[in-house]
Amino acid sequence: MDRRHVLTAAFGSLLAMSLMSGNANAADKMNMEKCWGIAKAGHNDCSSNKSAHSCAGQATKNNDPMDFVAVPKGTCNKIAHGSLEPGKAG
Amino acid sequence: MTAWFEDVLEFGNAIRNNDAMSGGIGPNYPIGTALEIYRNNYRGNLQGALGLAYPVIRQLVGDEFFRMMAIMHIESRPSKSGNLHDYGAELSKFLASFPNAQELPYLPEIAKLEWACHMAYFAADIEPIDIVLLASIAPENQDRLRFLLNPACRIVRSSFPIVDIWQAHQPGMPEDFLIDLDSGPQIALVNRRNDVVRVEALSLPESAWLEEIESGATLWDATAVVLENHPDFDLESHLVNWIEQEILVDFDHEAKEN
Repeated sequence: MDRRHVLTAAFGSLLAMSLMSGNANAADKMNMEKCWGIAKAGHNDCSSNKSAHSCAGQATKNNDPMDFVAVPKGTCNKIAHGSLEPGKAG
Repeated sequence: MTAWFEDVLEFGNAIRNNDAMSGGIGPNYPIGTALEIYRNNYRGNLQGALGLAYPVIRQLVGDEFFRMMAIMHIESRPSKSGNLHDYGAELSKFLASFPNAQELPYLPEIAKLEWACHMAYFAADIEPIDIVLLASIAPENQDRLRFLLNPACRIVRSSFPIVDIWQAHQPGMPEDFLIDLDSGPQIALVNRRNDVVRVEALSLPESAWLEEIESGATLWDATAVVLENHPDFDLESHLVNWIEQEILVDFDHEAKEN
């Protein structure tokens, strides 16, 4: 394909984008402010994060019993061909 | 010095592997109790960190399984960083050889995608591209432009529909989904925009172009490579879209100055 043709078309669109960028920037800023605060839950916030930071009721007892048979029991049963049974029988 | 080092090593092993310790720690607790307290907090922290980094894996296998998996992971892979957010980079590798997860062959690939999302979340902030400057580049310099990808941007290839699986587990999605694992491979594009990590599926030519750009190819070289195999590749619409999506966030200075 012709290089000049492809690039001219692409930069034509970029020019159009740049002409509208004044409005776009303002809209983006508003968008950013609206989105402020929906950071991935718990990641930034030590105080709301019971498990990832110390001191929350893990003090004395061993809370790691290992005496159960571990079989995945989550949403993996909603993924077909990812069945939990195969292999068990054989 | 050596004795101290051996004590610390013994302490670390006792924390991770339930080993006993020969010496004492301090005057206030019997050593067994003291170790148990420390061990539970250590595990609790790392388990929490893994749970936050891998919410989709946790949903896929359920809380109980995830907790057991986390304990085994912690035993074999000590934390090597003072930053909890660095913990868990190797979960994908761990899952690939984890006996209890062998029936879910897509788990390691979901883990890879989730770690890419985790990294994207903590990647540096960056200003969007200077579109006015970009549009003003002289035609004779356009083909030599080199674009820079957003530092949050990552491409994850998989032989499974990882994007569909990831998206089905995001908050607010319907719970009654059904995904066919045989629906084919997917290439995931991870990026962060306005503090939100996004994942979307890329076509082959799209991923090829972005990987060319990522490896430093010029605008035209990257485009020519893709056009060779995919003559329908529409540079114009992709360029506009990826600039809007803040996938492309800068271009090289040499071209700026020319």
